[in-house]
Amino acid sequence: MKRRIALAGLALLASAPSLAASRPRYGGEVRVAHVGPPEVGEPALADTPLEATLLGLLSRPVCTPTPDEGARPALARDLTRPTPQVVKVVLPNAATASALARAWTRLSSADGASPYRALLYPLRGEGRQVSASGSTLELALAFPWPDLERALCHPALSAPVSASPSGPFSAAGRGALEAQLGWPQGRPYLDRLLLTATDERGLARMWASRQVQVEMGVSSETEAPSGALLHATYLAFSPRRLPTDFRQAVESAIDREDLTRLFVRSPAVPMPHLLPPALLQQPPKPRPSAPAALAARTVTLLYDAALEDQRAVAERIQVKLHERGYTVALEPLSRAALRARWAKGDFELMLHALLLPPVPGPALAVVLDAGGRKDLLGVELPPIGVLPDASARDARARERAVAVAASVPLVPLYAQGLGVRVAPEVMGLEMDAQGLPTLDALFLAPPEATATGGRP
Amino acid sequence: MSRALLLTSLLAALAAGAASNPTSVPDKASAVTRLTWALADDLRALPVEAPVALHLSGGSAELRRAVGSLLAARLAVMNLAPTVLDAPSPEAAEALARAQGARTLARLTLDVETGMLRARGDVLGTWVNFWSGRTPTRPARPAGALSEAVDADPEVLALAAVGGPPQPPTPQPGVRGMRFLGATFARLDTPVAALAAGDLDGDGKDEVAALTEHEVSVFAADGRLLARRALDGIAPASVTTREPFGALAVLTGPPRLAAWSTRHAHGELLVLDVARAVLRPVGTLDAAPVGPLERGAFVPGQTAFQPEVRMADGKPLTVVAPFTTASLAPPRMLFVHPDGVASLFSRPGTAFTRLSGLGAGSALGDLDGDGVPELLTTSPLLQPSPDVLRVHALQDADPTTHEPLWQGALPAGRALGVVTADLFGDGRREVIVALWKPDGTSELFLLRQGAP
Repeated sequence: MKRRIALAGLALLASAPSLAASRPRYGGEVRVAHVGPPEVGEPALADTPLEATLLGLLSRPVCTPTPDEGARPALARDLTRPTPQVVKVVLPNAATASALARAWTRLSSADGASPYRALLYPLRGEGRQVSASGSTLELALAFPWPDLERALCHPALSAPVSASPSGPFSAAGRGALEAQLGWPQGRPYLDRLLLTATDERGLARMWASRQVQVEMGVSSETEAPSGALLHATYLAFSPRRLPTDFRQAVESAIDREDLTRLFVRSPAVPMPHLLPPALLQQPPKPRPSAPAALAARTVTLLYDAALEDQRAVAERIQVKLHERGYTVALEPLSRAALRARWAKGDFELMLHALLLPPVPGPALAVVLDAGGRKDLLGVELPPIGVLPDASARDARARERAVAVAASVPLVPLYAQGLGVRVAPEVMGLEMDAQGLPTLDALFLAPPEATATGGRP
Repeated sequence: MSRALLLTSLLAALAAGAASNPTSVPDKASAVTRLTWALADDLRALPVEAPVALHLSGGSAELRRAVGSLLAARLAVMNLAPTVLDAPSPEAAEALARAQGARTLARLTLDVETGMLRARGDVLGTWVNFWSGRTPTRPARPAGALSEAVDADPEVLALAAVGGPPQPPTPQPGVRGMRFLGATFARLDTPVAALAAGDLDGDGKDEVAALTEHEVSVFAADGRLLARRALDGIAPASVTTREPFGALAVLTGPPRLAAWSTRHAHGELLVLDVARAVLRPVGTLDAAPVGPLERGAFVPGQTAFQPEVRMADGKPLTVVAPFTTASLAPPRMLFVHPDGVASLFSRPGTAFTRLSGLGAGSALGDLDGDGVPELLTTSPLLQPSPDVLRVHALQDADPTTHEPLWQGALPAGRALGVVTADLFGDGRREVIVALWKPDGTSELFLLRQGAP
């Protein structure tokens, strides 16, 4: 709670003064436009910052990471460790506990396999069989893993959106979301959010005509605030189907600065290492020289059809790898199909984007699994988890991320965040440790403080 | 042999001296001690030449004497042979220091403002060159400026407050001057949801109670924690608030504390057991304690109370809108609404006066002992920088339209709770402000009436 209040305090410090008898006011509605889909699917596939934010309005994970290496309950009523090897999650009711257990188990199933299953790897049985006892989930660890709570805060581990409310808002039809009075962390200040899905031109038009008060997915060139850049995109390759010097060919051909400057939406930063700069800050290694020319080769690059950035990057890779003797065919797929191909290992090249947790250890676990090196989890995670000090664990995870990078068939490309802008009359914008805006903290400034500053 | 013995005893004396002369200020040292240690370190660093004369001005005589004694003691440990001068002014102190044979004079002015105890002044050499004759020239060294400040504590306020033996205050018509000196009273790890004060142990002095989301704490007049009770045993509320919020009141006869945090399904009645340092539960509450006998209800999910209040006589009172703060000083009642507007009743059943520009930290309290409470209020802004406490005389019209009797800046934070209390049993009421700090903690800030 203290952390949330600290965040709220920081948000208030950043806010303009307004008359409200010293407390945020309740009520009102805010119109929000975004460049995401009108509806979000299952949590493990809603893993862009924007989709995770939209999902978080209706369904939250059991906890929220705090900036000071902690976690506070969100959907959960309580999150405790009765013993060092057991994490107990108390949920509002048995139905929610059961739905959550099913959703987590599905992450390891054949038809719903997801790299986010690695977040549950430290559990006994690698989290393949999580079961609820009433409204409680008792999670027994296979080895010491103090970061489990923070891992459980990942949006991909949210409960599926369903009839039972598990977020601060509930759907009221036609893009309207209404505040949940019984949300365990307190109802949002606003009564209602009105969501509109559009494209970038639509965002600009609606902002200019003051049709909306909050926009998500705007470029950070508009000086919009953004959170931690943890949406990491990799070029995954199949070592079995590509020559051994393929990594060298890509590294020599691709300029990450170019990608972030010219081809992907900001906020974005080059990612030279296995973990994004928000988690691992080290200077990039010098680019290698091009490998010796080989006979022309044709490969297929799969990418996420829903992400315009990935299409642009895929085309850029197509051009650059052509210089190295590769003819790259592009194949856009839905995210679900992409994940299915990943799970089967049925690809030569794939652009794989992951929303990484803001903690190096769990983030490394997800990246290793996504890179097809699930075998490394049992080797790399226990020595990290055995360290009692959080900063020592983080340091060890960073060190291992650098050490194992060459053996993981992923070429890190860039990391992105979510740009948000809000009208002056909307206050209380907070970005959580995951880098996502918490729209349930928004409130309307009273008329006395409303000004047109910052609006076109 | 005798040389060896002498050497041994000298070494032992040096070791003993070192042991009794710690180099860092002890943990939990008083504000005066922390200030004097800092000043002594500054003087030694200049460096200065013994003997050192000290002259102190500003503050109350008691505060000057306390700082003078402790600073002299600290300088004595440093072998700087201090003396404290009693001179009418800093200028006069220079001649007096020379006359007493001091080689260094430190002239310091003390003040207590916005929760800080400050000392500012200069250091000069008092040695006069023989060739200067009667002209009191100054040497090149030592010379320097001194400025130190520490967080004030209740001891500082006690020293800086109006002197003289405790007397019941006598109303002085026409004399409306007020001055408050502030200091940190207590700190809590989480934000304060509600604040109350009253005599919980029957000793004639009020205690201060603070409610957080999951705890109730009771503090003595010196800021010492008397007892704390976790409310975790109470079932969680089905509907709660984003921010910590609740109701807290001291009930009379026998003294009990009524506490209800919106995180929990119901409230609790508690009795302070000083001997065991515990708050003992003696009952539950199913209505929010708006006052000692007045009861209300929370607006579900919001940091406000429903406008309907059941008064002490059992009659209902409906104010114009939900309110975030209530303060009852019978027969007067103040209700502050979420928009910064307040309803002030001179007595139940009469028309109310509409006030504006009040903060959630508002209270009625008789600070000048004239039998009529004053209106205390903080800023209505969401994030004032800094927040300001204003004290207004209650008048027929809107008292906030007149110049306040006193106003002063508060330390950083959002001031969301204010109460008045007679902490020392002297009939004079102190003010306690609950501040939410940006780091998620909170601070109880004590304001005590000082010399005008």
